[in-house]
Amino acid sequence: MRFVSFRPASSVLATAALLLVAAAPSHAQTRAETLRYVTGASVNTLDPNIPGSTRESFALSMSTYDRLVAFGRKQLNGKWVFDLDKITGELAESYDVSPDGLKLTFRLRKDAKFQDGSPVTAEDVKWSLDRCVTAPILGKAQLLTGSLTSADQFKVIDPLTIEVTLPKPDKLALPNLATVYPLIINSKVAKEHATPEDPWATAWLKEHTAGSGAYVIESFKPGEQVIIKRNEDWNRGSPDKPAFFKRVIVQSVPEPATRANLVERGDADLVVDLQASDVQSLEAKGKLKVISTPQYNSITFVSMNNQIPPFDNVNVRRAVAFALPYEDMFKAALFGRGAPLFGATWPDGKPLNGIYPFQAPVKTDLDKAREYLKAAGLPEGFSTTFSFNVGQASTAEPMAALVKESLAKIGIKVDIQKLPDAQMSTQINEKKLPLFTEGIVAWLPSTDYFYRNFYTGNQRWNYSSINNPELAAIAQEARFEPDKAKYEEDGRKLNAIHFSEMPQIPLWQPNQDAVMASSIEGYTYEFHRQVDYRDVSRK
Amino acid sequence: MVMTGLGATVARAGRRLLSSLPALFGVLVFTFLLMRVLPGDPAVFFASGPNAGKEEIEQIRKQMGLDKSVPEQLVFYLSDIGRGNLGRSMMTGQPVLKDLRERLPASLELTFTALLIALLAAVPLGVVAALKPGSLVDHGVRLFCALGVCVPTFVSGLLLIYVFYYLLGLAPDPTGRIDVFTSLPPQRTGFLSVDFLLAGDIEGWWAACKQLILPALSMALFVIAPLARITRASMLVSLGSDFVRTARSVGLSWQKVVVTYALRNAILPVITIAGIVFSTMLGANVLVEKVFSWPGVASYALDALLSSDYAPVQGFVLLMAGIFVLVNLAVDICYGIADPRVSIG
Repeated sequence: MRFVSFRPASSVLATAALLLVAAAPSHAQTRAETLRYVTGASVNTLDPNIPGSTRESFALSMSTYDRLVAFGRKQLNGKWVFDLDKITGELAESYDVSPDGLKLTFRLRKDAKFQDGSPVTAEDVKWSLDRCVTAPILGKAQLLTGSLTSADQFKVIDPLTIEVTLPKPDKLALPNLATVYPLIINSKVAKEHATPEDPWATAWLKEHTAGSGAYVIESFKPGEQVIIKRNEDWNRGSPDKPAFFKRVIVQSVPEPATRANLVERGDADLVVDLQASDVQSLEAKGKLKVISTPQYNSITFVSMNNQIPPFDNVNVRRAVAFALPYEDMFKAALFGRGAPLFGATWPDGKPLNGIYPFQAPVKTDLDKAREYLKAAGLPEGFSTTFSFNVGQASTAEPMAALVKESLAKIGIKVDIQKLPDAQMSTQINEKKLPLFTEGIVAWLPSTDYFYRNFYTGNQRWNYSSINNPELAAIAQEARFEPDKAKYEEDGRKLNAIHFSEMPQIPLWQPNQDAVMASSIEGYTYEFHRQVDYRDVSRK
Repeated sequence: MVMTGLGATVARAGRRLLSSLPALFGVLVFTFLLMRVLPGDPAVFFASGPNAGKEEIEQIRKQMGLDKSVPEQLVFYLSDIGRGNLGRSMMTGQPVLKDLRERLPASLELTFTALLIALLAAVPLGVVAALKPGSLVDHGVRLFCALGVCVPTFVSGLLLIYVFYYLLGLAPDPTGRIDVFTSLPPQRTGFLSVDFLLAGDIEGWWAACKQLILPALSMALFVIAPLARITRASMLVSLGSDFVRTARSVGLSWQKVVVTYALRNAILPVITIAGIVFSTMLGANVLVEKVFSWPGVASYALDALLSSDYAPVQGFVLLMAGIFVLVNLAVDICYGIADPRVSIG
């Protein structure tokens, strides 16, 4: 067990005082001020930048550290979701973007303090951003997508002002600063723990925090639980108030049925990773609050390797697209909990808009599928494998059985392969799988971002290994397109190419089913798909 | 006389430990090679952040030492082991030794409790069944054992949770060794039930015991069958032997005949099986650990295996091999106590 305390003497006093106070109020009261969040995953590092860090670690860092800016939130079909277009200050009191879009100037809050009481200065911000683009950590690849690549781009103007210079007017530069990685670290503390081999203190920050965030680490047991307590001085959420919960317990409970029991019995307050079947029955009982948000920045798809025969033939890919049993899969895998990306109607055969992910005009039509197979010169069908990873088995297993059954009807014999997660990622990276299902997510879901990352280049995230120069060129061009109408037009073109080439078949956007005690309020679907503990409160 | 006997036993035990070293070394090298032959690449798996590319993969590979050739890796690994360093887990971000040290007591406490429950149930059941073979009691025991074996541990675990936690509310929430709101005793043995007692915290002790009962019970149910069957079989042999007939014929009390003569002679195979059952339970109780969120070594190793995290898996196998050696030794020593004619060597 580790305690992060910067003033040992005073914290001992504080603890003693707390103990005295704690003797008075009843257990129920302290329970009401505590959020117990259970999850199947676990926190493995206190710095989300460390390679291999889990999503739970991302979520935790949102509460223990502040960034310069944060995403706002908006209502989507009556549910709160993060708003990519509304960027508000977090440590920055205000920011300006120069008319040419090449300079971002951030003015820091005067009252912002790190958890050790020292003020947050522009020097700290520069050190933290320098670290993010220089050190061998995850932030580097993320900030690259916003044209942030070098320490020279960050300049301290005065102790409370920092300026970021861009080589091109990149729309994603500002949103990138609100993502998980560019967290602002207390550079004085971090530097004390830096070594010549590790100038950015990555080893120390993995197990300690030095931030200005809403919560302080109370105890951290990797793989089991993390307990955080409120930073009373933090006021970045609402003007004068710290976060609502005094204490948050993030506990790993690997068995989904147990998680469902815990939240139903009221022993846990909030959980976001239950099985769809459990969510459905809990919702039917009506005792708990269930907030289901389609994960609109993620997609589950069936991908084909466009370089391996017979999937290098577009007609084979189309045949598969029209042979999948969409409705049955959607029901069996997700109990219909999500937003379908199939079954659209495009009146004039053209995309309805330039937004990706889009709903494609595909449905189960075996005759059409057989025609495509014939056109491909494979009227008798062929044999192939369909792979998914163990981690997704609860949804992918029923899906695989249905895929096998349906493709058999048009003569495609499918062998189902269930692969351990590491093996699956290795095979995807080596481009060895002909037909498989996977899911992708983008923190900054813009059309060009999706196309550039997931449909271009000979790289891992190009799941379908599609190599279409036209698509790549339009996606690159769209990235820096300032004109909204032209950007929309580019998006339509990209979507049209996607549908006609059919490199992979988007299936759906699964719901994030947040199940919580009826007293919990303020839950927001965040870009990192975890709970931001600062959002929630108890009625 | 007693002293020399004890001295000899210790010397023999020491010799036996030494002779198991080559086997341990073999396990070490074998696991090392096996992990590298498995088709998953841990670097690719752990570099799965939204934007991790080739560079990140290479970096993790370097960090894990996978950029070197396999023989080189083996040499580094062996020299690390020699210095007591089992490597670092990518999954938890902690040194493997620290993880195992924290998790092993949890697994041991659970397994010991389960084995104790199983033995307390199985030996009397086996004896009763053997005393009246073919009777209704015998069939009842057989049915009970069959049920225990054919219900997988996670099913019995989930059922127990459903009944005792969800429906009746008698058991605490099945999330690990202790309620999250209870403060922990100072760590001495790592066994919570012992540490609470040492700290004089009876309330805490009871809380820890309540957490322990359900998982231990679901594990015990599964191993009662082999233990009861072997007790019954060996009791039958023992009851039918000449010395029991003689003991009966000279009019010794029923209790003396059954417990002192028959059971003591029948207990040897039970001890052997109990030793094997213990070692298997320790490594194979993954499902119980998962269902009850028990922070033990088995679920740790499974998670590591799924993500091809080499160091924890290797560390776990080494630990299990070591425990197996110790358990076998303990079984042999128990033999000596149960039957003075047996000497280990």
